[in-house]
Amino acid sequence: MQQPTAQLSASTLAIHGEGDRLALDGVLDIRTLSQASKALRRWLDKRRGGRARRALDLDKLSGLDTTGALFLWRLGEQGVELTGVREEHQALFGLIGGLEHQPLRKPASLPRWRQLVIHLGKAADEAWHDTYDVIAFVGRATNALGYALAHPRYLRLPSISRQIAETGIDALPIIGLMAIMISVVIGYQGVAQLRPYGGEEFTINLVAVSMLREMGVLITAIMVAGRSGSAFAAEIGVMKAREEIDALNVMGMDAMNVLVVPRLIGLIITLPLLTFFSDIMGLLGGAMISQSLLHVSPVQYVDRVHHALAGGDLAVGLIKAPIFGFLIAVIGCMHGLRVKGSAASVGHETTRAVVAAIFVVIVLDALFSVLFEKLGL
Amino acid sequence: MSARATRHPAPILSARDIVNRFGRQEVHDRVSLDVIPGEIVGIVGGSGSGKSVLLKTMTGLHRPDSGEVLIDGKPIGSIGAAEKASLIGVLFQQGALFSSLSVAQNVMLPMREHTDLPAKEQESIAAMKLELAGLTGDSAIKVPSQLSGGMVKRAALARALALDPKILFLDEPTSDLDPLTAGGIDSLIAKLNESLGLTVVIVTHDLTTLFTICRRVAVLVDGKITVDTVDRLMRSDQPWIHAFLHGPRARGALSARRQKHGNG
Ligand SMILES: Nc1ncnc2c1ncn2[C@@H]1O[C@H](COP(=O)(O)OP(=O)(O)O)[C@@H](O)[C@H]1O
Ligand SMILES: [Mg+2]
Repeated sequence: MQQPTAQLSASTLAIHGEGDRLALDGVLDIRTLSQASKALRRWLDKRRGGRARRALDLDKLSGLDTTGALFLWRLGEQGVELTGVREEHQALFGLIGGLEHQPLRKPASLPRWRQLVIHLGKAADEAWHDTYDVIAFVGRATNALGYALAHPRYLRLPSISRQIAETGIDALPIIGLMAIMISVVIGYQGVAQLRPYGGEEFTINLVAVSMLREMGVLITAIMVAGRSGSAFAAEIGVMKAREEIDALNVMGMDAMNVLVVPRLIGLIITLPLLTFFSDIMGLLGGAMISQSLLHVSPVQYVDRVHHALAGGDLAVGLIKAPIFGFLIAVIGCMHGLRVKGSAASVGHETTRAVVAAIFVVIVLDALFSVLFEKLGL
Repeated sequence: MSARATRHPAPILSARDIVNRFGRQEVHDRVSLDVIPGEIVGIVGGSGSGKSVLLKTMTGLHRPDSGEVLIDGKPIGSIGAAEKASLIGVLFQQGALFSSLSVAQNVMLPMREHTDLPAKEQESIAAMKLELAGLTGDSAIKVPSQLSGGMVKRAALARALALDPKILFLDEPTSDLDPLTAGGIDSLIAKLNESLGLTVVIVTHDLTTLFTICRRVAVLVDGKITVDTVDRLMRSDQPWIHAFLHGPRARGALSARRQKHGNG
């Protein structure tokens, strides 16, 4: 974007003289330091064998900053005589010379292979703690949720309604669009695959059943995990980093009740509604596809869908929604509360929240498919 | 307003007729302030009187609704990023340290960006700046979330000094510090000012800072600014200024001033 050093090197420095005596002329500051240090290092190295004491004259040095003074002071420590120090620079040398000059402490560094081993060990340990944390957190969240439901006084209705608006209403356009797109995709594939068998009419069954049973809830859950799971993690994470959670604690409010429960309730309510909406939009997409590829009119389409769907299809999709909602909210909030101080940690936990939520949703959906198959639903 | 500005022809920093509004609230009503190279100017005013906003305006972070800010005669908006970095250093009220970098990395960041000094050199410079600001030992490798409020301020001061700027802006540098350390920061600012000719603009409530190191003080009251030396402000009959400079807290600070001026 910008040229980093070009404009900075406005001040200039020249080095005069030869042999054991050199003189600096100009400004020695952070801009000219690297030039000076390269030139003088060569001079110092070359003269190492020499008997005579090396000297650097500073009489013509018109500008000096703390960085330059530090450099000169170190030269002085190395045995270079600094002559002709101007009156106005004395105070600066006094300031710099008065410091202890301890080297910067560094974190202990380890050989690569040990870092690798330690990293592996830590990761394994963390994975174990993660699992434990999730289970414990789900337990605590369920407990807090149950308590809030049993004591309606503790339900924070304004907070819940804000969550419903943000996670639900605001998500309607994108989820509707996604549902239509997905049903169009399924419809096209269905027609292409079934046409050789003369069964392209069954595309309508395919679209209707798969949207209602699986795709509707799945894309809704994935979308919500990406939108709201990440929002929960980032929002709570920043609050954690800025000690707002601690502030809640000392005021006798539990983050679990104040922050987590409203989000849980919000998503448990909105995800089924969003799923239902996405089912409708999916069927609408199916109607569009039928019209254009199969020349089935909307009225016929409704009739066909009616015959194609069994009573349980809608329920099978919707029943999963509150469970996914619960898990997405729990995972988002949990990762938010695990943030430690830094902005990077907020980003890290947000990423993990989204990945974990989508993973859990898909795994669970697969398990549900098997379960419903066995139950004959 | 400031009679001094006419006597010194070339202010290094000059804010002219600044107007800032947030909605209907008018924070600054044609505020002007000229700062001469090498002086220390204090900015005071009640909480919410617009000190931080004025500082943000003077550093080019906030565009005023009208008025202009000139640094070295150039409008602040026209100064390139790298040049600006070497002209001004800012200590923000909350420190604004980068939370994912260690303290030492925070101080080295501007050097890494704007100079081609080798890493070793940068480290020794960073160590020097941190020591100047009063941070030594293990604190250099800590990350900001592990620091106390006062340490954050000092680390932020060290970072503001990283490129040896010409003008240093400090937003309440001593407000989180114990009195001893606050005194240390004051004397560091005074020393840098003496030895480097550093120009300093300090927003502060600390009367000791005002009385001991500030040559002039700008007082923000009701969106207006009054700029003068402490001695003359002491005689002001503006109610807020009078109350501020003659309150019970002012007495201790005044004696500190006498001590300092008595010594030299
Ligand atoms: N971004 C903003 N939007 C709206 N109002 C603001 C903003 N920043 C500051 N203000 C208002 O401007 C006034 C001055 O704020 P500030 O300069 O931070 O006060 P202080 O003098 O205590 O540093 C306050 O009343 C504050 O509410
Ligand atoms: Mg402020």
